[in-house]
Amino acid sequence: MSDWRSKVGMADGLESLNHNFLTSNIEELVKWARRRSLMPATFGLACCAIEMMATGAAHYDLARFGMETFRASPRQADLMIVAGRVSQKMAPVLRTIYDQMMEPKWVISMGVCASSGGMFNNYAIVQGVDQVVPVDVYAPGCPPGPETLLHAILTVHELIRTGELTRRRDSAGGGAGIHLEIEAGPTPVAVRPGGGR
Amino acid sequence: MGYLNGFKVTFARLFEDRVTTEFPAEKRPKPVRFHGRHVLNRHEDGMEKCIGCELCAGVCPAKCIHVRGADNPLDDPVSPGERYGFVYEINYLRCIHCDMCVEACPTEAITESKILEFSFTNRDDAIYTKQELVVDDEGRPRHQPWELWMEGEDEHLSGWMRATAPSGAAAFEGRVGWSGDLGHGVRPPEEGQTAADEFEGAEETEAAT
Amino acid sequence: MSDATRVYRSPPREGSPVSDPTEAPPDDGVKITIDGREFTAHKGELLIAAAERAGTYIPHFCYHSRMSPVGMCRMCLVEVDSGRGPGLQPSCMVPVSDGMVVDTESETTKRAQEGILELLLINHPLDCPVCDKGGECPLQDQAVAFGPGESRFVEEKRHYEKPIPISDLVNLDRERCILCDRCTRFAREVAGDPLISFTERGNRTQVLTFPDDPFSSYFSGNTVQICPVGALTAAPYRFRARPWDLDQVESTCTTCSVGCRIAVQSSGDQIVRRLGVDIDPVNHGWLCDRGRFDYESAYSPERITDPLMRGRAGDSELIEATWPAAMAATAETLREAIDAHGASSVAVLGGARLTNEDAYTWSKLARTVIGTDNIDSQLADGLAAEMVLTLPRATIDEACSADTVIMFGVDPKEELPVLHLRLRHAVVEDKVPMIEFSPVETSLSRHCRSVRHLPGALTESVSELLASEGERIGSGSVVVVVGRGSLAGSGEDIEAAVAAIRQAIPHATFLPALRRGNVMGALQMGLSPGILPGGLAFSEADRLGEDWAGSQPVVSDEPGLDAAGILAAAAAGRVAVLILLGADPLADVPDRDLAERALAGAGTVVAVDTHLTVSARRAHVVLPASGPGEKAGTTTNLEGRISRLGPKVTPPGTARPDWMIAVELADRLGVDMGFADSRRIWDEISTVVPMFSDCPVERIESPEAQDGILCRPAGDGDLRWDPPAAVAAPPVDAYALRLVSSRKLYDQATMTANSPSLAGLAEESRVRLNPRELDRLGVTDGGRLAFVSPRTRIIATVSGDEKVPRGVMAMTFNAAGPAASELIELGTVVTEVRVETL
Repeated sequence: MSDWRSKVGMADGLESLNHNFLTSNIEELVKWARRRSLMPATFGLACCAIEMMATGAAHYDLARFGMETFRASPRQADLMIVAGRVSQKMAPVLRTIYDQMMEPKWVISMGVCASSGGMFNNYAIVQGVDQVVPVDVYAPGCPPGPETLLHAILTVHELIRTGELTRRRDSAGGGAGIHLEIEAGPTPVAVRPGGGR
Repeated sequence: MGYLNGFKVTFARLFEDRVTTEFPAEKRPKPVRFHGRHVLNRHEDGMEKCIGCELCAGVCPAKCIHVRGADNPLDDPVSPGERYGFVYEINYLRCIHCDMCVEACPTEAITESKILEFSFTNRDDAIYTKQELVVDDEGRPRHQPWELWMEGEDEHLSGWMRATAPSGAAAFEGRVGWSGDLGHGVRPPEEGQTAADEFEGAEETEAAT
Repeated sequence: MSDATRVYRSPPREGSPVSDPTEAPPDDGVKITIDGREFTAHKGELLIAAAERAGTYIPHFCYHSRMSPVGMCRMCLVEVDSGRGPGLQPSCMVPVSDGMVVDTESETTKRAQEGILELLLINHPLDCPVCDKGGECPLQDQAVAFGPGESRFVEEKRHYEKPIPISDLVNLDRERCILCDRCTRFAREVAGDPLISFTERGNRTQVLTFPDDPFSSYFSGNTVQICPVGALTAAPYRFRARPWDLDQVESTCTTCSVGCRIAVQSSGDQIVRRLGVDIDPVNHGWLCDRGRFDYESAYSPERITDPLMRGRAGDSELIEATWPAAMAATAETLREAIDAHGASSVAVLGGARLTNEDAYTWSKLARTVIGTDNIDSQLADGLAAEMVLTLPRATIDEACSADTVIMFGVDPKEELPVLHLRLRHAVVEDKVPMIEFSPVETSLSRHCRSVRHLPGALTESVSELLASEGERIGSGSVVVVVGRGSLAGSGEDIEAAVAAIRQAIPHATFLPALRRGNVMGALQMGLSPGILPGGLAFSEADRLGEDWAGSQPVVSDEPGLDAAGILAAAAAGRVAVLILLGADPLADVPDRDLAERALAGAGTVVAVDTHLTVSARRAHVVLPASGPGEKAGTTTNLEGRISRLGPKVTPPGTARPDWMIAVELADRLGVDMGFADSRRIWDEISTVVPMFSDCPVERIESPEAQDGILCRPAGDGDLRWDPPAAVAAPPVDAYALRLVSSRKLYDQATMTANSPSLAGLAEESRVRLNPRELDRLGVTDGGRLAFVSPRTRIIATVSGDEKVPRGVMAMTFNAAGPAASELIELGTVVTEVRVETL
């Protein structure tokens, strides 16, 4: 299998693809298509969801960006807007939904409760949904108004436009960025990329 | 033709004006008491109003404000008095814009603007430091590159008022609460309020506070 | 109303606590009525104190239960009817009398309180937002609770220069002062350093120091704590935090062995302040400045945050390493040393920095896992462990109420400052007779009967007194405060003097005034050769269970080497692994030359320390340990009082408690000690060690333990102390001076030198001589002379000091500059020094 891939310069998946006129324009086309047809998964958890609905309604009209269809099935969605506080019990559900979404997928953490727990600094609330799923854009506010959410959505659009086609960019700070690395010695040490040890 | 009845509303709306705001190109006007991101104000001579007293950090229900005071340098003071805000940070991924900090501030140093159109791709970016919060030489908030501003919007940024009358005295009922000390965003009294100087007994209450 | 003044975190307990309802009323009780309720007060008690005990809070500023009342602030005015009709009286000046009727809430009382507060606030600036006291200020609290809410005063307030430093540690803001006389009273009455006082008159009255004479008291920080307004603020704490972002835990100070109860306060996981907590048996709320401010050292650049190791080449630099690498290297070295040279080639030095739990774990590691008894927590600068553990021990309270106090070998003001406050109070205020023996004048000399003796001639001096007055003194209770003041002699004369007193006055009890933090705990946990935990001898090891009874030193029944022995063996190349448990031999061993040779001669040196000390720099492996305020556990003070330490902040970097290091070392040597936290260790201590059997974890954690739990050795064990025969000091050499080298409060000690606020207070090394001696030698103050001892020749600056008698030279130990320890040879009775002019 790998021999024909290496012949066309794709031994490493699409990452090492050498662009020519045709492929680079196709890539732009793919990005444009993705950007213009994001389908959010409904994940309204609290008051932020009201603002999310307002964003979809006539005054702000998400349809202008080709994303009026909030999908109830994660299989059909590629943008998760976590709107509201995530309780510890909801966290595994959230992760399951995220895992069921098709790649490529993006996450907006809407409002301060989803982003950091907000004023609910207690045992019941996940202190930042980025502990559960990798977050691309954080929208501040309590709750963020439609303008702020739209700003976040436009930021996602921008990420799609400038981002690489297949690989999620680490440097954008997407996700909690915690992975385990075996250091000298038997104890695993938590390492934060770019953040120093 | 019965099934067309269902489209009555749809067709009727076709001939009405559009209500949609073309958001990135235009904004809906904000309510006068909208709570946006904070600004740290300065006196007319350029000194910062913040004295680093940490009262805002103390009342913040979301614990999103981090302040540390320091000794004012004698030769080049940052604020009037002994102490100034050496570190001032607000984490916008925690702030719930409740305005308790504005209520608590003894020097009217911190107020909230009308700007809330911004988002972050990184948690670290969400922490605004003093450099970003302090107003510029003309008293206007600094436009951060990731914030979406409209032309002329900064004219209406720093108007604010206390939600509660000072010391809760009944004598303040109906009195205008807008701060007249901020340079930008000074507003006329709202309906049912009289301006500060027209207010009966204004001097006595001034003395009492 | 009483709670209204304590809305915010007020300074920890001040004044006597609310009385225990189960407490039986005293027989000589005085019946009074407070706000309609009957209460039986003690005879002679002040009304304000009685009311406090009865649960009625009377607002006050100047009254302080540990100082004499002055009635300065008038805030405590209440309506008192002692039979002649009700009238306003200051309750801090009025003793209770039978049938007294007190109304603290009447209209008249309220009017008086409002009037006083309005008066106090006339000149008080409203700069609460920038004031360090704002949020925990009694004036603020009481203005809210008892004030009128409005002021009729519209004139300009009084203005002074904003804070003026009255010492290196304390700032004074005279605008805020309400002239309550607390600080000046403290300086005069309690500290005995009357360096601040009221100046000028009337509206311009202010607290000030005398010109060119700063408030350089060892206790100046207390004035900051008792100031009821923000007039006195601490320079190290200035603008560091506000009361509402402080987090607090009660703990015990381990800077010296007095064991003052403190509150450790942190903000943002950094310790920013320590306050004294008022407990009756020990510190009465006072602290010395060293104990109050040396938390700064935790954040010094010298603090070790990660393990350090040398590379393969012996002379390479110390570089950062991971814990697994450092521990593996240490364990490997230990195993190699044990295999090659036997367990006795391993030695452990130090341990006074540790908690009791740390000390027990290390003691167990050394004895049962490694198998060595070469372990000593004193650095040849203390007293014989057998003596300390077998003498009948006195408490501080007993010392302060004895019929006679005999004190020698220690200047408490320099070494144990709060013990000095207690003894000073006993001697000056309570007129307790004290007899002091000292080669030079100490800070208590002018208040008591002070006997001068030549260094080395203590025993003769004490015997002389006992011969003439022993019978009279022995007819009452006698407490002997004994320390190791001068490090220039072997200390055998101190032991001989103790033996002489024991013989003449058998019922005398002793307060061992050892200096280092938890040295008593370390000794009681067996960090001394030949002594097992609980002060047991090897012959009693079976009482500790089989772990201990089967350990190698016990089985072979050979006590190991003490600090002097370890150093000598190391210098001779017979120590393969030398473990320094927070010990800095180069700075603290009286014989610098020996310490140098020992560190050079030891095979591998492992330092477990908080800071990179001079000695730790010479080590091959450095393991970072957590310091005070960073670990849980218990500590033991010089009386044997066990109290809990409060962990407040996380240690910097990867530093961890000492017991954890010991447990992991044991694990790597193949023994599971089974300790997972310090609570589990104390559990084993209280189960295994007979001395602590009535002190289980539950009791340690109960509120009863706030004052500490006294655990004194029963004295019925097999441990024996053989006092040395009276040592004859060599005859006086008319051409030589005898060296007295004692410690000062501020010296080059690790924590002091690493605290920026305190480091500058340490004096340079200088030799103090009697002024007539200077005249004889033809030098003036500040001149330089050469001093020659059998060890070496040093050149030092001299100054004249009337407190030093002729024939004696005094030199501060461990000061910056020429070190006294260079002149001293361990084991000599006196150090004789010849002087040469340059």
